[in-house]
Amino acid sequence: MSHQLVRNTAVRRTLAIAVSAGLAVAGLSACSSPAESPAESPGSSSAAEETSFPEKDINFIVQAAAGGGSDLSSRALAAQLEEILDVSIVVENRPGASGSTAMQYVAGAEPDGYTIGFVPVEIAMLEHLGFDVKPDNYDFLGQIMFSPGVIAVPADSPYETLEDLVDASKDKAITVSNSGAGSVWEAATLALADEAGADLTPVPFDGGAPAVAAALGSQVDAVVAGAGETAQAHADGTLRVLALFNDEEHAMLEGVPTAESEGYDVLFGGWGGVYAPAGLPDDVKKVLTDAIEEGAQSDGFADTITPSGALTVYKSPEEFTEFVNSESERFSTLLP
Amino acid sequence: MNPIVSGLEALIDPTVLVCLLLGLVLGMLVGAFPGITATMAVALASGFTLTLEPVQGLAVLLTIYVAANFGDRVPSILVNTPGTPASIATTLDGYPMAKQGRAGLALVISALVSAIGIFASMILFAAAAIPIARLALEFGPSEMFALVLFGLTVMISISSKSMIKGVLAGVAGLALATVGRDPITGDQRFTFGINDLSSGVDFIAVIIGVFGIAELFDQLLTHHASKVRPISSLGRWWPNKAEYRQMGKPLAVGSVVGMIVGVVPAAGGDIAGLIGWDRARRVSQRPEEFGKGSIEGLTASDTASSATLGGSLTTTMALGIPGDSVMAVMIGSMIIWGIQPGPSLFTNRPDLVVSITAIMLIATILSLAISLVRMRGMVKLLDVPVHYLWATILMFCIVGTYATTNNIFTVVIMLIAGIVGLIMKRTGFPVGPLVLGLLLGPLAESNLRRALLIEGPIGLVSHPISAALIALALFAIIAPIVGRVRQKRTATAAARTEAGNALVKSSKGPHA
Repeated sequence: MSHQLVRNTAVRRTLAIAVSAGLAVAGLSACSSPAESPAESPGSSSAAEETSFPEKDINFIVQAAAGGGSDLSSRALAAQLEEILDVSIVVENRPGASGSTAMQYVAGAEPDGYTIGFVPVEIAMLEHLGFDVKPDNYDFLGQIMFSPGVIAVPADSPYETLEDLVDASKDKAITVSNSGAGSVWEAATLALADEAGADLTPVPFDGGAPAVAAALGSQVDAVVAGAGETAQAHADGTLRVLALFNDEEHAMLEGVPTAESEGYDVLFGGWGGVYAPAGLPDDVKKVLTDAIEEGAQSDGFADTITPSGALTVYKSPEEFTEFVNSESERFSTLLP
Repeated sequence: MNPIVSGLEALIDPTVLVCLLLGLVLGMLVGAFPGITATMAVALASGFTLTLEPVQGLAVLLTIYVAANFGDRVPSILVNTPGTPASIATTLDGYPMAKQGRAGLALVISALVSAIGIFASMILFAAAAIPIARLALEFGPSEMFALVLFGLTVMISISSKSMIKGVLAGVAGLALATVGRDPITGDQRFTFGINDLSSGVDFIAVIIGVFGIAELFDQLLTHHASKVRPISSLGRWWPNKAEYRQMGKPLAVGSVVGMIVGVVPAAGGDIAGLIGWDRARRVSQRPEEFGKGSIEGLTASDTASSATLGGSLTTTMALGIPGDSVMAVMIGSMIIWGIQPGPSLFTNRPDLVVSITAIMLIATILSLAISLVRMRGMVKLLDVPVHYLWATILMFCIVGTYATTNNIFTVVIMLIAGIVGLIMKRTGFPVGPLVLGLLLGPLAESNLRRALLIEGPIGLVSHPISAALIALALFAIIAPIVGRVRQKRTATAAARTEAGNALVKSSKGPHA
């Protein structure tokens, strides 16, 4: 943030501050941004050295319809990026075909930095499900969030621990609802079954909420879903979360052990980041990467996404690219 | 402090009033705009309401939800294009009424009964949300399948003119519903390598196509000047006493159907409207008028689809499970405000429950008032020359459909559906069953297969609710067939005694 400004020449710096301060004030008064980061000096915009990027509005493509988790994270980040980059970030929802419609759109866009988008975990999965989506077609600009998975049972279920459930599955198949065929939670169920040698039957529903409802109503023996989707029911005592598929406990699920600590090495979750079509110029990439790093670590972004159970996790472009590739490899063995 | 007092007090705030009015205008507009649904409007508005206080934000979002439910009836009645899927059933009797020069009456009745439907369901919400919401949890895959199967029997009613053509159209709809990814295995089906088809044929595009665009094409291709004008006059506004009396029974039937369907998660106003219409037809004294501009049919469909609002709200607030797609978005917003919908909401924040109820009621009253007042403006709309009117409608349909996915493919689907709808119209195939098949097919298939995965076929008959619904569905299929056979028999029997009766009648005079 500030160290980048120091590197700029004095003239450029003064100009940048003056312009961005003016624009930021105008921007703030013109539209109420959903999440303002408090006490952020308007001059902290990370204008890279020798670039005029961005000169116009940036389109931010979201693969899901307005109103879901991906949309929320995207709009929260876009609000931060607007302040940092001093241009409008136009969030555009292109839902359909499991998100591949948006992904193919981004892959085919001009790599000039004016078309970027939210990249969900599905980028590592769709190729193995028969879609024409390849991680190689993108430049990954950083991970911004992670939403760990859980396995939960109805409150009146006989299973008190993950081990109880695994043991019971030796006698009869345990039905486990999830948010849909080919979803990350179905994959997580299969991964758990694989790891524990348990007989689990994944039952795909049309979305996370109906899957959780099926467990609440004891239609199924258990549900694998996001931590945020089950936290309230767990607190209300209508659902019992047995284990969390992350390497550390979750603030919204106090006392719930990780699957790892129970002896099952299952790390699973929905993650998201920002991507662009492959082949971005270096200077543009740097401006975007810096802005995303700052935005993803801002309080305003965290305040918007954490109530839904997501965690702010930042990974640099290099780390994130490596992570996407390793996830893609993992899904290639898990998915049918 | 008393939660009722503090809940209402929270609404006495000029900002809340502004929010209500904003929601009202937005909701009415998106409702009336074909393609743009309440879900989209609420989702987009929620981006801006995050910074507001919860009560203010809820005032915007809930009012959009309510007002859209009034706005979407207008294009259904005037131009046969459902503003949102919830008003599909409105077209069945609303548009025929408008064509008969009774558009004014149809608009007023639609608004009145929508308001009554919402009120009835909100009483349910306020009085017994938590116990009723438990009912929603009883609806597992087997029950959902049974309910949808029951819904499919509506096909028989909508295709009253020719049963065979109706059933064929319905089967076509069901077949169309199999396009896309398999709901359980995720395999591609009938997509022919077209990626845009992998999430299925877009439902909203199809309904706009087969109802609105087909009507538009039909008008464009009709060259008789006398036939071209869709609606010659609005006619009388207010129902007379006899008509009010006629509305009683369908109002009751519609409210009950709407509330039940509303409480069931994942079943919304579109299904409720169709089932309500069908149930009312079956208990009506004049079932033959249904689909030809029946006041009873319009009353039943609009009461039922509107009464789902309170039912959905019940499931959402009392369980934390979205009752419909708008509520799914609403839950997201509420969580960001730090409010967790669920049973604890009623114990921890009873004041908020009161505020929500009050907002819903105020929004309903305001929407009703606007609907009744604004209708005078509709007269002017109909003065627009027909060639401008239909061109404008076409433009609106294209823009609205494009907005649902930002993908031109969806518009192509809509136009193809329009051509298909036109061909069906000209060859006497009803489009209602086609839409019903497309709407219910995926629900029927996915829930049946889930039920089979969980328990096998036994689950369908061992659960009391699903067994009862399947029995009802079978009865609904068999009854008309038995009825027809019996009718034929009595007809022949009557024919034999006709001669004798006629002699008696003529001797007693016309009062016999």
